[in-house]
Amino acid sequence: MSVKYALLGILSERERHGYELKAAFDERVGEFWSLNYGQIYTTLDRLEREGLVERRDEPQARRPDRKIYRVTSKGRRELESWLGRPVARPRALRDELFIKLLFRAGGDVDPVLDLVHEQKEVYLGHLRRLTQRKFALAKQPQRDDRLVTDLLIDAALFHAEADVRWLAHAEQKLRAASRRRARPREESR
Amino acid sequence: MIRLRNVVKTYRQGRAAVPALQGVSLDVAEGAFVSVMGASGSGKSTMLHLIGGLDVPDSGSISVGGQQLGRLSDDELTLFRRRKIGFVFQFFNLLPTLTAEENVALPLLLDGKSLHEARPRVESLLERVGLGARRCHKPDELSGGEMQRVAIARALVVDPLLVLADEPTGNLDSKTGEEILHLMKETAEQARQTVVMVTHDARAAAYGERIVTLKDGRVVGDLCGEEGERP
Ligand SMILES: Nc1ncnc2c1ncn2[C@@H]1O[C@H](COP(=O)(O)OP(=O)(O)OP(=O)(O)O)[C@@H](O)[C@H]1O
Ligand SMILES: [Mg+2]
Repeated sequence: MSVKYALLGILSERERHGYELKAAFDERVGEFWSLNYGQIYTTLDRLEREGLVERRDEPQARRPDRKIYRVTSKGRRELESWLGRPVARPRALRDELFIKLLFRAGGDVDPVLDLVHEQKEVYLGHLRRLTQRKFALAKQPQRDDRLVTDLLIDAALFHAEADVRWLAHAEQKLRAASRRRARPREESR
Repeated sequence: MIRLRNVVKTYRQGRAAVPALQGVSLDVAEGAFVSVMGASGSGKSTMLHLIGGLDVPDSGSISVGGQQLGRLSDDELTLFRRRKIGFVFQFFNLLPTLTAEENVALPLLLDGKSLHEARPRVESLLERVGLGARRCHKPDELSGGEMQRVAIARALVVDPLLVLADEPTGNLDSKTGEEILHLMKETAEQARQTVVMVTHDARAAAYGERIVTLKDGRVVGDLCGEEGERP
């Protein structure tokens, strides 16, 4: 799971305590991926057990010790090797919409077409929101990670575009199928 | 800014009648960037041509900037098109024998200005679209993306109220297309122009703050306002 590597990556820049780690994570990828403190600390515990990070406790006045994490050399090697590997499994096809279509199959085509149309509008709204963000981003001063954020938005845009195209395609096929079913009846009149 | 009421347009194809628009009503606010989507043959280009006064409806009314197009004479319509509207098409429509600079200046030349008078505005627009160094190139010495930039500069040269674009990125790769769309949106914002852009590409359409969908010559979707946050 890549939360592990995102945390390793952030820690590879410099050591950080849990709060800083979450702040850095949110700043970089928070728009696309939200993590709570629980997930961060569970992942850090695991990383520590695997010897990929090490922890040092810094005493604080009248408060519990602050836990500061840094990457071990084993952790750096693990991160490098992960960064160089392609992703093995592409996005899972596990859309709720497929389930809905499945239970509608064979029935009246109109409600299905309505659903497909509305779903398309939802994706278009999503595309528009992402594009507005992209347009605003381009106006901000150049920073190292601006390009990466832009590319991340692009990835989301291409995925949503594929969904819209698939829905338009499905709409045409459903229509053609329902015309084929309707025709014999008309001819027998 | 734009007001369509029950606009109907049917083309004759030999003896067959091809319904292109079957009663379209639409209002577009001044300064809006509206995308029009829809399958091939749904009537997108027809609607754009009617708004731009390139063709007339069979029935219904169209007004642009408070002007009822049906009430204009042919000459008035020509002037309206030349002075108030900037057109950007998929195949750029540049004149092959003219340089980039002359192509951009053309609407001003047609309006009686000299190239000398037109030059400052033309140069600044070519700079604006990133083609300052290409002003003496002819269309066949430019890439597709560069030709489209010239076409955009030409559309903007008269400082139109309204920019009408038909698949402006249809022939461009996705990165170049993105640059063109960004440029169109940015220049429209700066000059407070209204834009209507026809496209079947959802990613391009998403540059509009409003996305109208046509199907079989009718408006079947209109995504605006609340569903998306403002930038
Ligand atoms: N000049 C014409 N003569 C006859 N029929 C026409 C003419 N122009 C358009 N049509 C017909 O009108 C309908 C709408 O065409 P239009 O060009 O508006 O579609 P479109 O949505 O722009 O499609 P595309 O995405 O393929 O450009 C089509 O059925 C088309 O065949
Ligand atoms: Mg068309």
